[in-house]
Amino acid sequence: MNDYLLDIENLQVQYVTDDGTVSAVNGIDIKLQKGKTLGLVGETGAGKTTTAMSILRLVPHPPGKIIGGTIRLDDTDIFNISEKEMERMRGNIVSMIFQDPMTALNPVITVGDQIAEAIMIHQKLNQEKANKKAEEMLELVGIPGNRRNDYPHQFSGGMKQRVIIAIALSCSPKLLIADEPTTALDVTIQAQVLELMKELKTKYEMSMILITHDLGVVAEVCDDVAIMYAGRIVEKGSLQDIFLTTKHPYTEGLFNSIPNIDNRKAELKPIKGLMSDPYNLPTGCSFADRCDYVMPICREKSPQKIFFSENHYTECHLYATDIDFKLGRHQE
Amino acid sequence: MYKYIFRRIAMMIPVMIGVTFLVFFIINLTPGDAASMILGDGATEESIRALREEMGLNDPVIVQYGRYMTNLLKGDLGTSYSTGKTVVGEIGQRFPNTFKLTISAIIISIIISIPIGIISATKQYSIFDSVGMIFALVGVSMPSFWTGLILIIAFSLNFRWFPSGGMDGLKSLVLPAFTLAIASTASITRTTRSSMLEVVRQDYINTAKAKGVSKNIVIRKHALKNALIPAITVIGLEFGILLGGAVLTETVFSWPGIGRLMVESIQRKDTPMVLGCIIVFALSFSIVNLIIDILYAYIDPRIRANYR
Amino acid sequence: MLDKSKKRSQSADVWRRLRKSKAAIAGLILIAIFILVALFAPLLADYNEQAIKINVKERFQPPSQDHLFGTDEFGRDIFARIVYGTRISLFVGVISVSIALSIGGFLGAIAGYYGGRLDNAIMRVLDVLLAIPTILLAITIVAALGASIVNLMIAVGISNIPGFARVVRASVLSVKDQEFIEAAKAIGAKDHTIILKHVLPNSMAPIIVFSTLKVATAIMATSSLSFIGLGIKPPTPEWGGMLAGGRNYIRDHMYIVMYPGMAIVLAVLSLNLIGDGLRDALDPKLK
Repeated sequence: MNDYLLDIENLQVQYVTDDGTVSAVNGIDIKLQKGKTLGLVGETGAGKTTTAMSILRLVPHPPGKIIGGTIRLDDTDIFNISEKEMERMRGNIVSMIFQDPMTALNPVITVGDQIAEAIMIHQKLNQEKANKKAEEMLELVGIPGNRRNDYPHQFSGGMKQRVIIAIALSCSPKLLIADEPTTALDVTIQAQVLELMKELKTKYEMSMILITHDLGVVAEVCDDVAIMYAGRIVEKGSLQDIFLTTKHPYTEGLFNSIPNIDNRKAELKPIKGLMSDPYNLPTGCSFADRCDYVMPICREKSPQKIFFSENHYTECHLYATDIDFKLGRHQE
Repeated sequence: MYKYIFRRIAMMIPVMIGVTFLVFFIINLTPGDAASMILGDGATEESIRALREEMGLNDPVIVQYGRYMTNLLKGDLGTSYSTGKTVVGEIGQRFPNTFKLTISAIIISIIISIPIGIISATKQYSIFDSVGMIFALVGVSMPSFWTGLILIIAFSLNFRWFPSGGMDGLKSLVLPAFTLAIASTASITRTTRSSMLEVVRQDYINTAKAKGVSKNIVIRKHALKNALIPAITVIGLEFGILLGGAVLTETVFSWPGIGRLMVESIQRKDTPMVLGCIIVFALSFSIVNLIIDILYAYIDPRIRANYR
Repeated sequence: MLDKSKKRSQSADVWRRLRKSKAAIAGLILIAIFILVALFAPLLADYNEQAIKINVKERFQPPSQDHLFGTDEFGRDIFARIVYGTRISLFVGVISVSIALSIGGFLGAIAGYYGGRLDNAIMRVLDVLLAIPTILLAITIVAALGASIVNLMIAVGISNIPGFARVVRASVLSVKDQEFIEAAKAIGAKDHTIILKHVLPNSMAPIIVFSTLKVATAIMATSSLSFIGLGIKPPTPEWGGMLAGGRNYIRDHMYIVMYPGMAIVLAVLSLNLIGDGLRDALDPKLK
């Protein structure tokens, strides 16, 4: 028995297609304590969603394949259980909220039935009781219960996302994975949905993994942050670690890409270039070509984890020789 | 829902009027004179002129059409030039045979194609899928009149299991029904498979799986209903193709339906009969499409909502 | 300049994906054979002597070295008739699809581009055509015009107009509101320039696929009409017509219907394979 609800070790996932092999996740470790929220941050294609789908064991196969590592979820090694046992965990121990609420609900089934379905599966309630519970769940996310018999197309985007949250929480899971839950929503609705999630998270004492590329959202909700780049976690630490003592040049680049309200004269400094071709990752550090601090060694050897505290580490050669190296951001 | 059905029927009326007009106009392009044809070679010019006058063939086409429509509303489609029987009577006698044939064919197609399409999609790239898809592709490429001949050679002349033609009990229905069913089976299988593949990639399928719904139920409950929407469209279209195919299949198997009646009537230049057959075909097709649209609305709440 | 090189690499991309599909390659090879046979028919058989001359002494010869596919009820060489039949099938198939594509494509393009009342009027007329199953419409037209090769092409062509109009309309609609069209409008380009230069080239993919598949159905329709005596008249060799003639003799001479039928299947199959392959190659996400 350990204290972690989720313990991912050295997870590796590949997609094998006609055009070549993509290493979407290249050996990542994530430990998440009960009741904590981890922000998983990175740009599109960094492997965030693949990581999430691995936790549910729902990486589409083919073309996706988990080629290494272990995931322990609620003290179960999920790569070593049957599909039936895994089905019992999905929706019950771990739930997921998908990115686009417009497409995440089945258009031909009423929202009530979609909520009740999970309840009937996991709590073995009959239709009538499950319907009742579904109604309660709708009320909980701020939708009148009598809209149970409506179909998804009768709801707005924000309402749909609330329905999806209701589905995900209907069996009070221990871990909620939210994949960019607010990206597709209007700004005003985003705030409401985030607020609702925070509130329900506390109420149900859940752990949460919040996948996003929005550092503002992270600051709002998360305890810990992991920055992903090209299938690796390049920096991980507490919210304070990441925001106040940024170590990895990529993390710094992310911060420099956000407009600063306090200093409007400050120039935006976007990260140059594009993410490396996922079919053909370079040897050494994947970020080398875009990095302002690149050194010869970066193109030869993959960087190792360097710890600054028990919880804060980065994978960057800059600190291998000089642990006190300071990035530009903090020197200005 | 009733409002929707009512509207759909209302939409059918102008289309059917258009069809009758179009077909009436096309058929009137037929060279040759009906009056001289009815009277035969020995007729005098005098009697031909008299008959033309009597039949109103000298009137403008639009007037003739008006007369035809007035009669049509009274349930009169005219009289056959060659047999002298009423068109309605003749078609009424033959229509049930074509109905029997096409309905059996569509039922056979659906029973075979939907399960194969689903299994192929859920086991994409498997042997079952590859073999199934090769058969389906060859199936859509076989002309029904040739398939019919091959089936006759194999099961009628060789094994002597079924008669090679005519209409005599259930046994005689087997070969023509399967002949007619092959192409639509193939094409519905292909559609079911591809729409299923499309659907299982949708986000809501992941939502369902993430809830802990088992694979079978995800397919049966979440995917199938959505995948059936395009499949039903194709079933409707295939029915049109089946009606066309009936013309050929009935010819191959000497099946006494309206398809064969139409071909015979064309050869005899029996215009009223040809016209009647086409109108009945078009009407049947429209009714099938109406049923399809109602099914649609039944499955897809988004369509239902538009007509609330 | 940039646009051109992008386009080239796009078609190169499609070709690269198409080449990977064994089925599409098989289709391409098959259709290439048919085209070569049609082009070089006189090298393979003599039209007058073998394909149409009645030769009572040679009736019902089973396949042999002299008559690869045997002879028919008039002693004509079935192989020679299939060879010359290839010309007719391909020709009628391509011409009738061209008719349907140009008229249907025009109607679909203006309906989709202008929308509104014009769109409505065109689509309602096409609804009428669509209410009659394609092959029945073709039969009606041939029945009225009389059976000849030209009328056959007109009939098959016209009966396919609504299908083409719909496909072109749908694909015009999907491009019409994209930003580069807005941009062209903003710089004052004329409607027909926009349609021809910007809308159509960008909506080509589904139209190419649909045309390929429709040549297949047109070949099928041609032989169907000939089979019921409403297409190409004998003695001109046409695959469907050959089956019509031979069907009375299948009891003892099944090869008479075997080979012409297989010619139809292979021709239609090859085009279907190419059409499918093209669709997957043009729209890789569906694979």
